[in-house]
Amino acid sequence: MRQMKHKKNLPAYFALYILLAVGAAISILPMVYMINISLKPNGALFEYPPKFFPTIAEITFENYVYIFGQEKFYLNFLNSIAVSLATVIISAIVAAALAFCFARFNFRGKRFFFAFIIFTMIIPGTTLIVPQYELAVKFKVLNSLSGLVPFYVAWVIPFSTFMIKGFIENIPKDFDEAVYIDGGSVYTVFFKIALPLASPAVASVSIFNFLTAWEEYPWANIVISDNVKRTLPIAISGFFGQHQFTQWGYVFALSALSLMPVILVFIFFQKYFISGLTSGGIKG
Amino acid sequence: MRSLKNKMQMYSLLLPGFLIFLLFTVYPIFKLLAMSFFKWDFGSILKQEFIGLQNYKDVLSDDVFWTVLVNTLAYTAVTVPAQMALGLIAALFIQKIPCFKVGFRVLYYLPVITSWVIASLIFKYIFNTEGMLNYFLTQIIHFSSENIRWLDTRWTGLSAAMLLGTWKGIGWNMVIFLAALQTVPADLYEVAEIDGAGAFKKFFYITLPSIKGTILFALVMLTIGGFNVFTSIKMMTGGEPAHQTDVLLTWMYYKAFSAGKFGYSASLSFIIAVILAFLAWIQFKMMKSKENT
Repeated sequence: MRQMKHKKNLPAYFALYILLAVGAAISILPMVYMINISLKPNGALFEYPPKFFPTIAEITFENYVYIFGQEKFYLNFLNSIAVSLATVIISAIVAAALAFCFARFNFRGKRFFFAFIIFTMIIPGTTLIVPQYELAVKFKVLNSLSGLVPFYVAWVIPFSTFMIKGFIENIPKDFDEAVYIDGGSVYTVFFKIALPLASPAVASVSIFNFLTAWEEYPWANIVISDNVKRTLPIAISGFFGQHQFTQWGYVFALSALSLMPVILVFIFFQKYFISGLTSGGIKG
Repeated sequence: MRSLKNKMQMYSLLLPGFLIFLLFTVYPIFKLLAMSFFKWDFGSILKQEFIGLQNYKDVLSDDVFWTVLVNTLAYTAVTVPAQMALGLIAALFIQKIPCFKVGFRVLYYLPVITSWVIASLIFKYIFNTEGMLNYFLTQIIHFSSENIRWLDTRWTGLSAAMLLGTWKGIGWNMVIFLAALQTVPADLYEVAEIDGAGAFKKFFYITLPSIKGTILFALVMLTIGGFNVFTSIKMMTGGEPAHQTDVLLTWMYYKAFSAGKFGYSASLSFIIAVILAFLAWIQFKMMKSKENT
């Protein structure tokens, strides 16, 4: 029956595939173009007529050689890795603990606290940038990576807590009861039951937290001023404004390199990506 | 489990998150409100002066504020429906095909995970006056006889940013709607088919009503996202010419960190937060009333 239906609709399927392929091409062509430009010599930029693909004779790795020859870009890369991992680990533990308490206990001010967390998810994080900058000045964390991590953690905690809480609420309480009857404590329940069982939710929020920290621009742009302390987005935007003539080949070579870890994370953790996205949207 | 020990352990789990939230989010919210009543110029932290509502008056009487507000509203009004419609169409198509579903899902999602900085620079390059787009428009399809200075005028610059925002958002909508479509009961379609309903009837009478919860959720999230537009404008036009292409957040950022007017920026931020809270409230109300019907 189903097979028959497919045969009957062959022209319709063909049309669907063509349209989807056009959409997919539009989705990825800008990135392909970026890589193409990064493989052309810098002097050939804004050539006339512009060519989408470089010719075989044109292909060069000189932009990548330049990037790999600069010590500061290694440091920028390490800074981005360090900041992103620190943000992911700290926010995973803190948000999971918070979510566990919201899902399993009653305490004074719980409803108000949770409502406030939801409220902060509505306001764009950037609107708080002025008082947060004042805070960073007070704590003397300007121009250091410790001026980034606590703020990133604070930004991602509301969403992470919200997602993990929803997940823990769906875990049957029987497991908890059994531990308490055996004389286990709250710590036992959290570390031995809730945290392992909620690990899919923790994994999916962690991927989003990683991306948030990896690509964050407005905050890092004002906090970090030294070349060697920059994260990758600031290093990439640093190619602008220094000179009148933008070295687009360098810009796109560094961009392509900084996009690679993201694509790897996406491919390896695709399952968690999708589950994290959809569990928020389907309820209701 | 009601022992004191367990109570202490519970609070110890609560404490780190509570303190981080209090210090880095709650305190800045109140500080923002407080700063908005002061003349607070950068570099003169010791010379703050209480000026009441003067900052709010300055913001509201500033022509640039109204320009950037209209720009932000236009950006949101264009990109939100465009992303939702295209994402929903992609989801409907992907749901119908027998194979390569995952492949298309991955390809459509790539723009979402590409960082704003990188995506903005690619679009800046494509929209450059000597760039690929103008070559295509003037030499290939002869749409225009001379190069359009895309990033140098208000509405062409904003259009470029809107195109980027839409392109980058389709994948997110596709994933959300694809999941929602799977929750629509298949027997509804079967009944409709027996009654002789065509594809469009099925879409408007079954699919759309069944996923309205997801549509409203996407509407809320994307409206917040539209007001969040920042990096694309900052990278592509930098607000040029003369703040004509700025949006609320880039204007606030400029006033704070280029012009050094922290008090002005604080009151502007507060106005943005109030506008968004109001919009979100209306949309949540809509969601509630739709659920009850």
